[in-house]
Amino acid sequence: MTRAREGDRRVRRTLRTPITTRVVLLSATASVLVGTVLVVLIVAVTGQRDAARSAFRSQEALTAGNQLEKSLITIENGLRGFVASGARSRERFLQPATRALAAYPRDLSRLEGLVADDPGQQQRVDQIAVAIDDYVRLWARPLIELGKTRPDSARSVVVTNGGRERLDGINREFASLFARERQVIRSREDRAEQRSSRAIGFGVGGLVLVLILTAAVTLYLRRAVVRPVVTVAEATARLASGELSARVPIERHDELGDLARGFNAMADSLEQNRAELERSNAELKRSNAELDQFASVTSHDLQAPLTTISMYAELIERRHAADLNGGIALVDGIRSATQEARTLIRDLLEYSRAGRRPLALEEVPAGELVGRALEALAGPITAAHAQVTVDALPVVTADRASVTRVFQNLVGNAVKFTAGRSPDVAIGAEPAGRMWRFWVRDNGIGMEPADAERIFAPFKRLHGEEAYPGTGIGLAICERVVAQHGGRIWVTSEPGAGSEFSFTLPAVEG
Amino acid sequence: MRRTVLAVALAVLLAGCGGGGGGGATATTSSSGDGATDAPLRMGTKNFPEAVLLGELYAQALQAKGVRVVLKPNIGSSEIIHEALTGGALDIYPEYIGVLLSEVANDRLRPVDPRAAYRAAKAFEERQGFTLLAMTPFSDSNALAVTPGYARKHGLRTIADLRRVPGTVRVGAPPEFATRFEGLVGLGQRYGLRNLRATPLTIGRQYRALDSGRVDAAAVFTTDGQLVDKRYVLLDDPRKVFGTQHVAPVVSRAALRSHGPQLAQVADAVSKRLTASAMRRMNAAVVLDGRDPRAVADEFLRGANLK
Repeated sequence: MTRAREGDRRVRRTLRTPITTRVVLLSATASVLVGTVLVVLIVAVTGQRDAARSAFRSQEALTAGNQLEKSLITIENGLRGFVASGARSRERFLQPATRALAAYPRDLSRLEGLVADDPGQQQRVDQIAVAIDDYVRLWARPLIELGKTRPDSARSVVVTNGGRERLDGINREFASLFARERQVIRSREDRAEQRSSRAIGFGVGGLVLVLILTAAVTLYLRRAVVRPVVTVAEATARLASGELSARVPIERHDELGDLARGFNAMADSLEQNRAELERSNAELKRSNAELDQFASVTSHDLQAPLTTISMYAELIERRHAADLNGGIALVDGIRSATQEARTLIRDLLEYSRAGRRPLALEEVPAGELVGRALEALAGPITAAHAQVTVDALPVVTADRASVTRVFQNLVGNAVKFTAGRSPDVAIGAEPAGRMWRFWVRDNGIGMEPADAERIFAPFKRLHGEEAYPGTGIGLAICERVVAQHGGRIWVTSEPGAGSEFSFTLPAVEG
Repeated sequence: MRRTVLAVALAVLLAGCGGGGGGGATATTSSSGDGATDAPLRMGTKNFPEAVLLGELYAQALQAKGVRVVLKPNIGSSEIIHEALTGGALDIYPEYIGVLLSEVANDRLRPVDPRAAYRAAKAFEERQGFTLLAMTPFSDSNALAVTPGYARKHGLRTIADLRRVPGTVRVGAPPEFATRFEGLVGLGQRYGLRNLRATPLTIGRQYRALDSGRVDAAAVFTTDGQLVDKRYVLLDDPRKVFGTQHVAPVVSRAALRSHGPQLAQVADAVSKRLTASAMRRMNAAVVLDGRDPRAVADEFLRGANLK
């Protein structure tokens, strides 16, 4: 329990750092790692180059030392030959010695220069330089002078007076110098070797580390970025398919956490909206039903009194026409008003029934329905001298009476709303997906596009009743009937240029 | 995880920087004494124990007084070391006056009187730009030594008696003995000795050669430590082939000038203390007891208040 909470806290702390920061930190670490490996390699290569250079210097120092030793031996041998031999051949011995005497300081200073970086060796060379100097100044040169002036003395001196011992001493010092120099070379080589193998180790280790880090970053990105994004994407797909309860878990506090939170908020809002929509839909349906019920009951109940009123008005006219004098016009007014009210109530009843009555669907040729409608409108068509053309029409699945009524209303309107010229009405149909679109086109007065929607509402009239009689309920009935069939109805029109009413009905299956 | 990676990177970085190798520069500072000049006094010695000892005595006494001295011991015989002096490789070295006259100045008829010999030697040196400082009380003369047995066998008392020895007399001596007046040359001239043959030996080896019978006689010095206990017989030299051998430092006048009067004062003070008994004691300590001449000289100088 405690442990779980601790783990939880740790996860939260890690996930609070933004992904950007984490990616930057990881890249920086990788860069530092690669840089470090490079630096180590450079240091190693430099070290090896230095070692090679110093080994070369040491080799040169050995050569210079050997050269010096050789010069000294030349001097000593020349001296001995010079002292021991007779007057005629002594110059022959002296010449190489003199040359060596002239040459050795250069070798010595070269040797001094070559060991300048090693204090111990420098000290040894200094000692050797002193010993050589002593040998030359205190032995070789005095002996040459002595040999020139007093050859006999020189000859006796050379036997035991230690030129050889001096040289041996110098050679011993050289030997220790060389041994030390070789040791220096070896240790430098060892060190360079060690450093280079260490550098190789570091390089390989660093590369492995970089590889591991890359793998870790990839895994990390998968875990930390890709997986959460996929989760959200899946939830989005579920949401799109209508499952509004889809949510993603929020376990992070970085950018992906923000994304998850945003998604959930969006889903919450969607779900809430739909619930509200459904509620208001249900409400609307209920009040519509109540209204329909009310209209139906009211119009039905109003019919009887209206009939009674109309009957009484007829009785008054028949029985008391003589008594009324001019009052007969009033009775006419009552009768026509009553008639009007009855028409209104009839339409209203029809409207309230339309959409409520179950449809008697059957496969019926649309041409037949149009034919009936035109029969019913034979009077107005003839009166308006209208020209009606009907294309070949398909068979549709429809309720005979209602769809006939739709055609009747639309053609009736086309004949009614004329623009002074004789009406020209065209009826046709074309396939529209799994439906048929029917049209009723006229050359009447047309309407403003803004009115195109409104005219399908009940009792909506665009013109006064004096201009064009009617209750304004015909198009509302059409809209209900078409909607009940699963289609829709609309109009495209231009004022003065006529209108085209379209509606769709389902095609016959198969 | 991230902290670990950083730590590793840091460690790698640090390791890369290490191992550069320090090797700081070593500055050697040397402080000179309060001597009058920058150049140190270059002192040489001849190549046998007494000469080396003398070099230590003069050098240490001078160093104690603040003169910078570079001591080059064991250079060689008079012929060589004097050549080095005149060639400018040395400033000073202690020399035996008799040898100086006979072998360097080539003065075969040198005075028997030590003071006259000293004056002659000094005059010789001064002609060449050098001079002699005060001479020592002791004289380390050359002499011929034989074993008591050999002396008894041939009835030897003086050098002249060697003529009676049948066959060759092998004389163990330094190589220059063969060519020196104070050697085969003088012995032949003054005593008419023709049966001597020199066997060249490093100085100091001749006693062992005598003991082993490799030589019949040996050229020795009268201050040799080996002569302390009467194990050898010194042959008398009535015709004075071997002159007196007091010691005096030969010094270049240039060095004398640059180092001031202190140089001569200190050297003279040392010379004054070097009696025959003192020298023999010190020689015995070095040659017979195998002590370091440096330590022996140090001890003597401290005892004589010269250090």
